[in-house]
Amino acid sequence: MSTPRLLAERRQLGRRLLLSTPAMLTLLVFMLLPLGIMFVVSILQSGEYGGVKWGEYSLEAYRNFFYERDLDDVLVFNTDYLEIFQRSFWLSILTTAGCLLIGFPTALYLALQSERKRNLLLFLVTVPFWTNLLVRAYAWMLLLRNGGLVDEGLQGLGITQHGLGLLYTDNAVIIGLLYTYLPFMVLPIYTSLEKMDWRLVEAAFDLGANRFHALKRIIVPLAMPGIVAGSILVFIPSLGNYIIPELLGGGKTLMIGNLIQLQFGSSHNWPLGAALSFALLSFVLLAMLVYSVRFKPGSAGGHP
Amino acid sequence: MGNSSAISIEQLSMEFGDPGQGVKALDTVSLEIQSNEFFTLLGPSGCGKTTLLRLIAGFEQPSAGTIRLYGEAMQDLPPFRRPVNTVFQSYALFPHMTVAQNIAFGLEMRGLSKEEISETVTRMLALVKLPDVGARRADQLSGGQQQRIALARALANRPKVLLLDESLSALDQKLRKDMQIELKRLQSETGITFIFVTHDQEEALTMSDRIAVMSKGRILQVGTPTEIYEAPANRTVADFIGETNFLTAEAGDDGVKLSDGQVLSTLTEHRGPVTLAIRPERVSLAADGQLLGKVENVVYVGTDTVYHLDVAGQGGFRVRQQNRDGAVGGYRVGDQVRVQVPTAAIKVLVE
Repeated sequence: MSTPRLLAERRQLGRRLLLSTPAMLTLLVFMLLPLGIMFVVSILQSGEYGGVKWGEYSLEAYRNFFYERDLDDVLVFNTDYLEIFQRSFWLSILTTAGCLLIGFPTALYLALQSERKRNLLLFLVTVPFWTNLLVRAYAWMLLLRNGGLVDEGLQGLGITQHGLGLLYTDNAVIIGLLYTYLPFMVLPIYTSLEKMDWRLVEAAFDLGANRFHALKRIIVPLAMPGIVAGSILVFIPSLGNYIIPELLGGGKTLMIGNLIQLQFGSSHNWPLGAALSFALLSFVLLAMLVYSVRFKPGSAGGHP
Repeated sequence: MGNSSAISIEQLSMEFGDPGQGVKALDTVSLEIQSNEFFTLLGPSGCGKTTLLRLIAGFEQPSAGTIRLYGEAMQDLPPFRRPVNTVFQSYALFPHMTVAQNIAFGLEMRGLSKEEISETVTRMLALVKLPDVGARRADQLSGGQQQRIALARALANRPKVLLLDESLSALDQKLRKDMQIELKRLQSETGITFIFVTHDQEEALTMSDRIAVMSKGRILQVGTPTEIYEAPANRTVADFIGETNFLTAEAGDDGVKLSDGQVLSTLTEHRGPVTLAIRPERVSLAADGQLLGKVENVVYVGTDTVYHLDVAGQGGFRVRQQNRDGAVGGYRVGDQVRVQVPTAAIKVLVE
């Protein structure tokens, strides 16, 4: 290889590196650095009144996740935290399923409207983002509490006789999470449906498929990239959500987010909080890994 | 050609938008298509031919009129209940399935057994001469191969009528010629009625048993390729099918008189203003020709030379002269020439 060409290639490589600098810097400052700090905090000793003792390393936090010390200072296996993780996963799975059940037909309906109506409806989907989530969560508390609008309404219609006792239950948390994350399911599915070639659906009808078969065999497989993206966008934030279980679950139904908040707050145990965050991160990564092995991209999705 | 009617369309209208003031895509069209016929709907884009095809397939609902398939009214049936299959212009192969799965789709919908399906898929792939592509994904095939698979998928269902929507227009010239022959072969092998939509008049003339020429939502003429070409019903048909020279003239007792006083003898009984339609290849330059003109332009096209003449003050009159040995030629722009016009070559159109 001649020297000028080598030089040109080197120059091009340099330019590429330069171009990728903003992305690299963003990743470093906003992802790697905070993660690094969290990791360091998770392996430090806890301070007496919050904070950490710098320079005193300990794996106590990770031990705390599985074990607790009884009165004789002996480590005993403790499933409390694992149970909270399990409940969080379960509530998030139900939320994701609920979002999919409501979000897919909504996105399909949106994609089938005329362009003008579609833009208006899409705009309406984003309206909830205009107000703070906290305010909206309080609004849900008013709706769901005994004697609230939902309760009164159902009793007024004669569907229920007594107070539902809906607020401060798992169901209230699921309703709140569903409400919060529904747009994140609708929008990606809408995007993949909007790009879809509807002549394929016509072709399916032409070949004898009824509406159900066209949906099952053509529309859903082709919308799979959107369904997957939407599910991830709903599932992961649900798992770490803190406000909804705090307000609608009344602090009785702890989720991971609340547990972590508790460690940095009243429990004054920063290392445990950081360790719990890492545990959450690894569970999510594990779930994604299982997913990507189970559903290889391209086998189900509509893209080559 | 059988003589039972496969499709019978009566007073079919299709209006988009508000009734009464919308766009009329089809205007009270009536049509009979025979069983085992290769029937072509021909017309410029926007003439309503694709709308008519979509109405037969069931993708659109007519504003008025009936569509019968072997005597059975179909206009209210959804597409999946009609014994009709379509080859789409864009092929519309399912991108998330293999070629074999694409062909099997319609068979699965009809609830055939696994053995029957795989046997039919193999047979269909052989029919379109692509026996080895079954395991490939549809988007890994070339345009011509996708076209064949789209055909195989539609034919696998053994429809009573096969609809082809501009199915060859995405292919290049060479491939299109091959597919034209292929389509004719498939039609005669399967014995299925084909309804083919195209804007390409040459394609229509080559393949069809009969052609319906459409314009602005109406059918102008239905006939065999020879009838359409040799005896166009009106100026629009004559203009759309092949090249045609038009001369305005006045028909009198001693022949038709052009604006400069030249007289041509024709077979018409009509008296009054007429339009003469004359095909460029039916006339020739000859010293004893009865029509006088002046050369405006000479275009050499390989097999022929086309002379553009000014005849009776009307420019652009084309004469197609074959480049045979000994043919009369060598005229230049500005030369006075005589054109031999056989009486049979003059089609008198009364508008």
